[in-house]
Amino acid sequence: MKLDEAFRNHREKIVDRWVDYTLSTYESSSFFKKEKDKFANPVGGNIREGLDSLFGLLARNADPQEFVAPLEQIMRIRAIQEFAASVAVGPIHAVKHITREVLEKDKERRHLVADLYDFEFAVDLAVLAAFDLYMQCRERLYQVRIQEIKTGNYILTDSKCPSNLLKTNIQESLKAVESH
Amino acid sequence: MAVPKLEQLSKSVVQGPSLATGAVPTKDWMDVPAIFKPGNYAYPAKQEKVEYLNSQKDLHFPNAREWSPEDDDWKLPEGWQDIILKGLKERLDKFRSLKIFMDCCVRCGACADKCHFFLGTGDPKNMPVLRAELLRSVYRNEFTIGGKILGKMAGGREMTVGVLKEWFMYSYQCTECRRCSVFCPYGIDTAEVTMMLRELLHLVGVGINWILEPASNSNRTGNHMGLQPHTFKDNVDFLADDVENLTGIKINHSFNRKGAEVLFITPSADVFAEPGLYTAMGYLLLFEHIGLDYTWSTYASEGGNFGLFTNNELMKKLNGKMYAEAKRLGVKYIIGGECGHMWRVVHQYMDTMNGPADFLEVPKSSITGTTFNNAASTKMVHISEFTADLIKNGKLKLDKSRNAHVKATFHDSCNPARAMGLIDEPRYILDHVLDNWVEMPENTIREQTFCCGSGTGLNTDEIMELRMRSGLPRANAVKHVIDKHDVNTLSCVCAIDRATLTSLMNYWNPGCNVCGVSELVGNALVMDGENRQELDEGLRTLV
Repeated sequence: MKLDEAFRNHREKIVDRWVDYTLSTYESSSFFKKEKDKFANPVGGNIREGLDSLFGLLARNADPQEFVAPLEQIMRIRAIQEFAASVAVGPIHAVKHITREVLEKDKERRHLVADLYDFEFAVDLAVLAAFDLYMQCRERLYQVRIQEIKTGNYILTDSKCPSNLLKTNIQESLKAVESH
Repeated sequence: MAVPKLEQLSKSVVQGPSLATGAVPTKDWMDVPAIFKPGNYAYPAKQEKVEYLNSQKDLHFPNAREWSPEDDDWKLPEGWQDIILKGLKERLDKFRSLKIFMDCCVRCGACADKCHFFLGTGDPKNMPVLRAELLRSVYRNEFTIGGKILGKMAGGREMTVGVLKEWFMYSYQCTECRRCSVFCPYGIDTAEVTMMLRELLHLVGVGINWILEPASNSNRTGNHMGLQPHTFKDNVDFLADDVENLTGIKINHSFNRKGAEVLFITPSADVFAEPGLYTAMGYLLLFEHIGLDYTWSTYASEGGNFGLFTNNELMKKLNGKMYAEAKRLGVKYIIGGECGHMWRVVHQYMDTMNGPADFLEVPKSSITGTTFNNAASTKMVHISEFTADLIKNGKLKLDKSRNAHVKATFHDSCNPARAMGLIDEPRYILDHVLDNWVEMPENTIREQTFCCGSGTGLNTDEIMELRMRSGLPRANAVKHVIDKHDVNTLSCVCAIDRATLTSLMNYWNPGCNVCGVSELVGNALVMDGENRQELDEGLRTLV
């Protein structure tokens, strides 16, 4: 139970550093870190909210199924930004190292580092879930693109509309006439 | 022990093939080149489309060629720098606003975090101030004394191929939504800076197909789709048939009818693509309900004006077409459908380009007697203004329960909201056709509305990821009301929105429908003599 207490005491510090680390992957990140309004700052706000909630779940060794909601909040954003897959998922790992570092600096709780195995295993599971979610988001993105093409929004160009077909038909028949 | 591991992780995280550097930028922004790769640029315009536009009266689209943004060599015409600088000088002389925008920015940064492209990408060049700086730096270097003498020290830089490439990348990562200008203490309209960047790029044959093909279609047949008159008529007829099947009401509409009181113009997407079709069915029902004496036109068959996204000459020409048709048909005034940028052109530019439209009358509703003095010069009334006035005067029989399947929120489309102040009319309509609807958070609606992320001709599928990024702030606010209030419908008054928000919702908030406000009006209308089927999903019901 002492580890629980350590997580409770240091939660804010750990999550702050985790958020900071994750947001540092953006080229111009100071605004993302500073602005707390989720609607003025959707990337920073959602990542902060998602990581905070995920930390709570990791710390109490929750059912990994519960990781999905907060991870999705984060991965849906990172999956469509210009990150390689490893970069999109990578920061989820960081909480292992941050937690160790924070505990080691706390003289009274330094010994608890040896008990972190379950926590770190939960982080591993979260990383794997994050990768699945990353892939789901990528697939959804391609589906959205296909859907858009199918529903005809692209007809502004390369139109399949009757009058455009008519144009093609006329040109084809003109060619046919010319070649005879 | 732990710290080195975290550093190692950072290294592997930040050294991936990514824009993200994971650190404070180490280079000056001027030294970071624009790199094009599949997915981050829209396809260049087809040579034949540019040639066609250039061959047309009053239009200038020179230097048509095949080229690719990914190639080092963009095959720019000889003397391209002179062409650009001469073009810039001409525009500085012609548009006083541009000269002021170039000079008066104090780089306070109020706009920096207001752009949806910046908020979705974190790319500093998407801060409006820096996007404008891309042009301003060249302006300083060439047209200010300080810049000429001090060069880079005074924030100036030469016009190079790298600068041109940067212009192309970032002027097409701006939807000219003007949210930034709401926050600018000097009122700098950064959208107009983007417009100038795009105009200058067209001078050297650099443009994108998704804008120039619809624009050339519009110039040729009157609408973006390239629909010829008979096809346009067929499509509207089909919609009228659908309305009759659903409601038992025969629609009496007409085309190109001289002497009609009103000419109705809407984006062609409304008569061709889902979900705009249902909005068009709403228009048909509304006009039938009140017995309006109106006509469609198969020539002015497009409200949208992709000229706004290219250059002022094309914008003027495409806008002029609507008024030429109104004159030919001898109507009294024009009602315009749910469109975004059409209204920006009409409200902000029409008067000095083609107006005032003195041959028309100041719009006066023959149903309510209301005179629309706000449209005294352009003679064009927004369908939402017109509908709200009908409701206010008790001219519509509405049954809200017919929209029981809808729990809506309302997206203010950028142009109607910020360029013409159309903010309360659609809300007034929603109040009367829906039992309940909810607002999104305050800093994401009305004048502060977030763009759909794909306006100004960026609604093309090859940049889908970019569109999802730039649409994040809007989608994020929609998600909030879905989670909190079980919203299932995102309503709006813009045809581009109806197309782009559909894709945006499919990625961010699957299951959330997108509709036009007039569709909801059509759903709720109680028509005399109707023989209405059980329409569980309103006009969308498959029967």
